Amino acid sequence: MATTVGSADGDGGEAERLGKAGGRGRADGGRADGGRTDGGRTDGGRDVRTAGDRTRPAARRTRYRYRQTAVAYLFLAPSLAFFAVFLLLPLLFAVLLSLSRWAGFDLADLRPAGVDNFTALFARGSSFLTPVLTNTLLYALGTVALALTGAVLVAHCITHLRFQGFWRTLYFLPIVTTVVAVGNVWKYMYEPGGLVNGVLNALGLRSVAFLQDPVTALPSVVVVQAWASLGSAILILTAGLKAIPHVYYEAAELDGAGPFTVFARITLPLLRPSLLFVCVTQFITGLQSFALIIVMTGEGGPGDATNVAALEMYQRAFKYGDWGSASAAALVLFVLILVITSAQLWLFRRKGADA
Amino acid sequence: MKRRRVLAGLAGAAVSAAGCGAPGRGGSGRPGDPVVLTLLSHYATDPLKSALQRVVDEWNAAHDRVRVRTTAVRFQDLLTTLMVRQAAGQGADIVHPYSLWAGQLAEAGVVRPAPPGDAARIERGFARPAVRAASVHGRIIGYPTEVQPYALYYNKRLLRAAGLAGPPRTWRELEETAYRTARRDRHGNTLVQGFGLSRIDDSTVVNQTLALLASRGGSFLQPDGARSALDSPAGRAVFALERRLIDRGASDPGIDLMKAFPAGRVALAVSGAWWTGSLKQTMGRDYRDVGVAPVPGPAPGNRGTVTTGFLLGVNAKSRHPREAWEFLRWLNDEVAPAGSRAGPAAAVRATRMSVLQMSVGTMTGRTGDMRALLAAGGDPNLGPFVDALDYATPEPNGPRAQKAKALLRKNIEEMWTGRRPPDAAVRNAVRQVDQELSR
Repeated sequence: MATTVGSADGDGGEAERLGKAGGRGRADGGRADGGRTDGGRTDGGRDVRTAGDRTRPAARRTRYRYRQTAVAYLFLAPSLAFFAVFLLLPLLFAVLLSLSRWAGFDLADLRPAGVDNFTALFARGSSFLTPVLTNTLLYALGTVALALTGAVLVAHCITHLRFQGFWRTLYFLPIVTTVVAVGNVWKYMYEPGGLVNGVLNALGLRSVAFLQDPVTALPSVVVVQAWASLGSAILILTAGLKAIPHVYYEAAELDGAGPFTVFARITLPLLRPSLLFVCVTQFITGLQSFALIIVMTGEGGPGDATNVAALEMYQRAFKYGDWGSASAAALVLFVLILVITSAQLWLFRRKGADA
Repeated sequence: MKRRRVLAGLAGAAVSAAGCGAPGRGGSGRPGDPVVLTLLSHYATDPLKSALQRVVDEWNAAHDRVRVRTTAVRFQDLLTTLMVRQAAGQGADIVHPYSLWAGQLAEAGVVRPAPPGDAARIERGFARPAVRAASVHGRIIGYPTEVQPYALYYNKRLLRAAGLAGPPRTWRELEETAYRTARRDRHGNTLVQGFGLSRIDDSTVVNQTLALLASRGGSFLQPDGARSALDSPAGRAVFALERRLIDRGASDPGIDLMKAFPAGRVALAVSGAWWTGSLKQTMGRDYRDVGVAPVPGPAPGNRGTVTTGFLLGVNAKSRHPREAWEFLRWLNDEVAPAGSRAGPAAAVRATRMSVLQMSVGTMTGRTGDMRALLAAGGDPNLGPFVDALDYATPEPNGPRAQKAKALLRKNIEEMWTGRRPPDAAVRNAVRQVDQELSR
């Protein structure tokens, strides 16, 4: 019901301004000191007028809008049901578990635990904050930094080569290879008698225990993860590069700009939306993944050197039967991903990019 | 109580809605139809898989009323499968867990104590460490079907090449042997490890250390299992020994022991009885170079080691517990008929499970059966393991045992890699394990 308030005692100016807004059909238009609406009347019952001849078209518009909304929701229903069953319900179950103790066998054994699981995660001596969360961040950050830098350079080079399709396919190959195969091949290459150490030895250098030394273990896995995710990043960035209008490059050429200036002043700024997408998706993947770590270093070893949050929660749930603390860890990771992704979006949007 | 039911109801609804809820099975349920018992084990590959299937087929051929159906998953997937199936109401009637999980499974109500008759049979028929490994808080929960004491494996050829006549009997001899047999190339790559330290998983990393600890008279946990007992002279000595072996180039935990030993590139290693069968298969004729001796102690004759294993128990949710225990008695307690076996072993009086385990190169906790089967042509390398059943300490198996073991493993690895000095690693392990056990 669209009503408007023309003016109200004691606060005429403000109410008049609101009245104008109300004239556009805003139901909350009458909210002002001494001029509260109540079914279309002010407290004093004075200076009230209905929309009159505008009521019927407005009501029709409202009904039409309701109908449209209902139809939209009807079409959305299958997707919403899907998300409710496979996203919302598990999320609620995870929240419930994070506040409980459960060994993973019988649901009747669920015991309320309050916030104990969360406090235990950050208690003194707990390895969750350091090194597990620290490793997770370093792993994601390292992967994104390497993959993004490599992908920008390779994609830029590919656009200047012949047979671009061939090069894109070549760099995309790691994506279609299973993590187990990638991890095992690199694991053999890193071994004391493996290819990498063979090259080092041929150069007169001593062997490095890449995956056995806690100092080199995490960076070694990061390199593999970055290599494996290079393909998809290149694909997206190549598409982004092709979308940049050629006129900018022609104008730069006429102005006598060098290749570095063109890359820094034209290519990179205009590639920002693609970079944002790659950055956000790769970071989320980096924060969540642990398959490669399981293949290459077993259970996050040596010690906790390559242990990450996703692996830790998997172990807590399926190995130690501690579903409460595993769910608490999952929620902490969820919040972490949310904060980091929001920060990335904010940062890029400030610079005028949108995914 | 009401709140707990509401919570359980909510959780149940959540899981059911996600499509995980399903009723248990146990045959068609029609009158006259046989009861079908399901058995979940980790015997997923040969020769274990076919050995178990043979004995199950034998039962099925002789019993119309109760049939047994086996399901197997890899050992790495066993606990997860147990959990998921149990939560979904599809737990197997008979479960075959690692003894380390016994406390966790008992606390979660997956397995219940064995009936008094079976408990008495187990108490009588099996070696004490095997019975303790299959018990939680002094109550037996299943038949200890497989025991894995730890002993010292050595490569006779490498020892001979280093001018050594036999395996070490003391820690001092162990170190000397390790240093004399180790070899590296000019780039520092390990050619031969004097003493192999495995870092495949929790079991290999921790059990080899616990075996050395037990040989020195120490233990991981206090007798009541509530606190760590690692911060002792024995605990500190074991950590220091392993660190010394690495520092002086005799050990390289970065090398996969499971591949290096069969390749003849490791002189000494501590491992379980199951490895004999695996080595025999991998090494072929070279297996004759492999010898097994007790884990060396502080002085000749001092003995101590650790033992682990698997047990066969009945699911607390099984609809047919009586039939399940009947099958387990038949498998683990009745003497196998001689007709089903060939060769000298046919004359030996042993249970079906003892025959099964010996046929795949491992053993049950029935010392008498094992000695008789060994005398009838079994692998002589299993001898020291059978002897170890007289003095071995079972691995702790309380409700938080798996997590405590994982924490110990991480600290051992941090000590190996030099991130923590041995004493600091001991202290850190004790603090973390005590914190976990007090939860």
